[in-house]
Amino acid sequence: MPFERLLTAIAGFGTGGARVRDWSVYGAETRRLALGTRDRETGGPHAPLNLAESFGAQFLLVWDDGRVSAGEIDRSEIGSGVEAALARARSAAYDDPDAAAVLGPAPIPEVPLHDPGVARIASGEAGPIAARLERIRERVAEHGFWTWSGSMVAAESRARLVTSAGLDAGVVTTFWAWNATFDGELADGFRGRAEDPFHDFDARLLRLGNLVSRLRRPAAHAPSGLRPVILHPHVVESFVLPILLGNLDGASVAHGESHFRASQFGSPDPVLREDLTLRVDPLEPLKAGSYRFTPEGVPAAACVYVRRGRLVTPVLNLKYARRLGWVPTAIPREYDTLHLEGPDPLPVEDALLEADGGALVLHVLGAHAQDATSGDFSLSAPQALAIEKARLGGRIRATLSGNLFAALRSDALRVVRFEGFPTPGLLFECRL
Amino acid sequence: MGDLGAELVRRARAVGMMLVWRAQSRSTRRVLVTGGRTEDSRGSVLSGQGLQIVTPDGRTVLASRDGFDPDPTLALLDRTIAAATRGGPLGLHRQRVPEMPALSAREIPEGLEAFDRIDPTAAARRLAEIESEIAASVPGVTLRLSFQAEVDAWRILRSDGTDVLYAAPRCTLRVTATSGGDRERHSVAAAVAGPDPALPWSDGPAALLVRRGTAAAELARALPDAPPHPAGTFPLVIDYALAKGLAHEAFGHAAEADGFRSSILARDGRFLAGQTVGAGHVSIVDEPVRGDYAWQPFSANGLRRERATIVDHGRLADALSDPWSAEPGGVRLTGAERAESYRHAPIPRMSNIRIEVDGALPAPGAFDEYGPGELRDLLDRAGILRRHPRIAFLSGYSGGQVNTATGDFVFHCKAIHALGREGTRLHRPAIFSGSMLGALGAIREALGPLLLDAIGTCGKLGQSVPSSGGSHYFLVLDPDPSFRLGGS
Repeated sequence: MPFERLLTAIAGFGTGGARVRDWSVYGAETRRLALGTRDRETGGPHAPLNLAESFGAQFLLVWDDGRVSAGEIDRSEIGSGVEAALARARSAAYDDPDAAAVLGPAPIPEVPLHDPGVARIASGEAGPIAARLERIRERVAEHGFWTWSGSMVAAESRARLVTSAGLDAGVVTTFWAWNATFDGELADGFRGRAEDPFHDFDARLLRLGNLVSRLRRPAAHAPSGLRPVILHPHVVESFVLPILLGNLDGASVAHGESHFRASQFGSPDPVLREDLTLRVDPLEPLKAGSYRFTPEGVPAAACVYVRRGRLVTPVLNLKYARRLGWVPTAIPREYDTLHLEGPDPLPVEDALLEADGGALVLHVLGAHAQDATSGDFSLSAPQALAIEKARLGGRIRATLSGNLFAALRSDALRVVRFEGFPTPGLLFECRL
Repeated sequence: MGDLGAELVRRARAVGMMLVWRAQSRSTRRVLVTGGRTEDSRGSVLSGQGLQIVTPDGRTVLASRDGFDPDPTLALLDRTIAAATRGGPLGLHRQRVPEMPALSAREIPEGLEAFDRIDPTAAARRLAEIESEIAASVPGVTLRLSFQAEVDAWRILRSDGTDVLYAAPRCTLRVTATSGGDRERHSVAAAVAGPDPALPWSDGPAALLVRRGTAAAELARALPDAPPHPAGTFPLVIDYALAKGLAHEAFGHAAEADGFRSSILARDGRFLAGQTVGAGHVSIVDEPVRGDYAWQPFSANGLRRERATIVDHGRLADALSDPWSAEPGGVRLTGAERAESYRHAPIPRMSNIRIEVDGALPAPGAFDEYGPGELRDLLDRAGILRRHPRIAFLSGYSGGQVNTATGDFVFHCKAIHALGREGTRLHRPAIFSGSMLGALGAIREALGPLLLDAIGTCGKLGQSVPSSGGSHYFLVLDPDPSFRLGGS
């Protein structure tokens, strides 16, 4: 077993007079099945049925001179050159007392993270995938779409964390995800530990189909200037949350690269609107973002990053928790366990009333190219719908500009509840 | 490892299957320094194999496994063949096994042993020295510097006897500057790349990083006070890095033949070769450049990667194709398929892409000697300011995206400078978006020689591979309603 071989090698390792004093090793063995569709063709050469087996480990070594080494190692190196890999790690060792943290035993919460059905798909049972592909093809035909693309993925992993301080924890997890794009316009999908119920899957396809159909019709009038805009949950997940999380990252805060300063955490002064909260809960059963422990050994626990507009804590691993003098936090891994909350989320119908004369933005281009530190944004939204007389109108091609942090502080900000999406939409004013 | 590949080929042939076997070993060293101290230093090796099976009736299945243990690999081959054979219930697409020229070749650059001698501690010290040099010029700015050295080695065997071996070395020095203090914060990044692991100690690249890092730091410090640029349609000048972005996002992706059933550059799945898409003095070329960040001499299926003139003097000419997409797309096979790793399915994509303009005007000196003032003077001398008394100069590429079905593109710059007879003025960056055909047709002039070292990472279909390219130092675009700067 590669994991055991790695543990044995590390425990007694020394080179050039230096020996490993403390260590932590996290390894995961994964079996995965994926199937893609490109432009109606399922499993073609550019998106084939893909069967993968992998093992990978990450380690932290604290040497007897106090220096640290971190790295990754795969199955072949463990089998044929583990000593060379550890010697290479020693050559890269550096002084960083904050990074020299190896955790001991602690209560690890039980969290349901495994689904036998997904495990069977990952091992090759393709029936559930075939049924879903068939339903997608039916929906595409019903709407008269000319093409669709997408993918379905099932995986099963067995992970284990062992440290020199006596922590030894394991977990078996599954992962299920699918996505579909209609006519190259819009995509939707699901990510979780278990398959989403078939009727939820079908309802999602139907909602997607209706939106893409609506994009075929141009709007009578294109709104412009300072207008109310509703960001669809997908846009919140691709644009708003990555910028917020990037600025909450402990390393960015510690190094002065974040919009937020370290001194603002714990301060009574709000940095966002006073009714906004951002929290993560990795204990939710069968969510893609749930886990029992981090690869460093921090037990999963719910965590609030922003409470009523005030910064509570950055996202902290062991190193940056120590650097900043706080405690390590939960790590947001997927959006289904990350909760952006405000008071009284508006139903979409009410939001359309408030956003009359504006637009519903379904997708943006260039979200990853923004200056996350300043919050200034300038985005292209070729898939947007005008809002006319409090109803969804036809398609507009918009460009949005403004400052995200100003928007998240504004009195005009509203949280909008979209059916089938754990992440809310956001309504605020910006330039169209 | 070669014996294992030969045995896999033998077994695949025995059951009438075509096999492409990809073995990869990618060795990476990375050092990160902030505030004079090492924040991370690590090495890693990614190695494993991908087995691509094609049945006689054209079903494709890919399998992968890290490591090269024979027994589990042979078991995986059996599982893959079985999955391909019984793929019917999933409706797996069938496509005839394409003709591919067999090839036996290798491209191993000299000097790769130097990667084994990299001293991470010395590299960290060198990064700290460079950081000090930049910080001395621009105090009050937080700097983060990194050095990454990587050798990406592949061996590709096919059941028709093809045996290709190559190694791509790539090293990068990067700096990110963030304005500090209690003011509004902005971040600006810069990079230098090369194939030599001595990059941090080489006079030319190190001096270039200091120069670019200093400019990035000055820009990060100045941006909080800069006003937004008005939105709208303007005469534009873009630098070579943005021109690479335009070529990559706007044209390169739409010319990838696996997407022709939904590309604006194709109709009914066939490339619109010969169609006019730009001005007659403008061409777009993609090819691997030796020593370049995105150099890859062979395709992921073991074909020699060829030069593709995507736009030849304003007309569509070549596409970026692989064996499965060339014939359906009606284009020449150019061996453009790449894969992020042995775990991924190869797809057609770019390597080093450039925009070439006939009759480029001279721009003496090095590109990095041109600040906005020097560029304004150059445009004045060239008579361009007479035609356009006010020009928006977009500098520095910071990412982009395209919808190849609609031809909508977007990319972001690091700064906008308004250039006019009265001087120059810095503005905050804004998005450059619009129609790819409109933008290409608007290119009027180029200034300076070709510079092709703009680097990036392309993330097509979730696979990250190095990309690069460029153009002449500067391109001048006449205003056109099909593209715009910022919002409305």
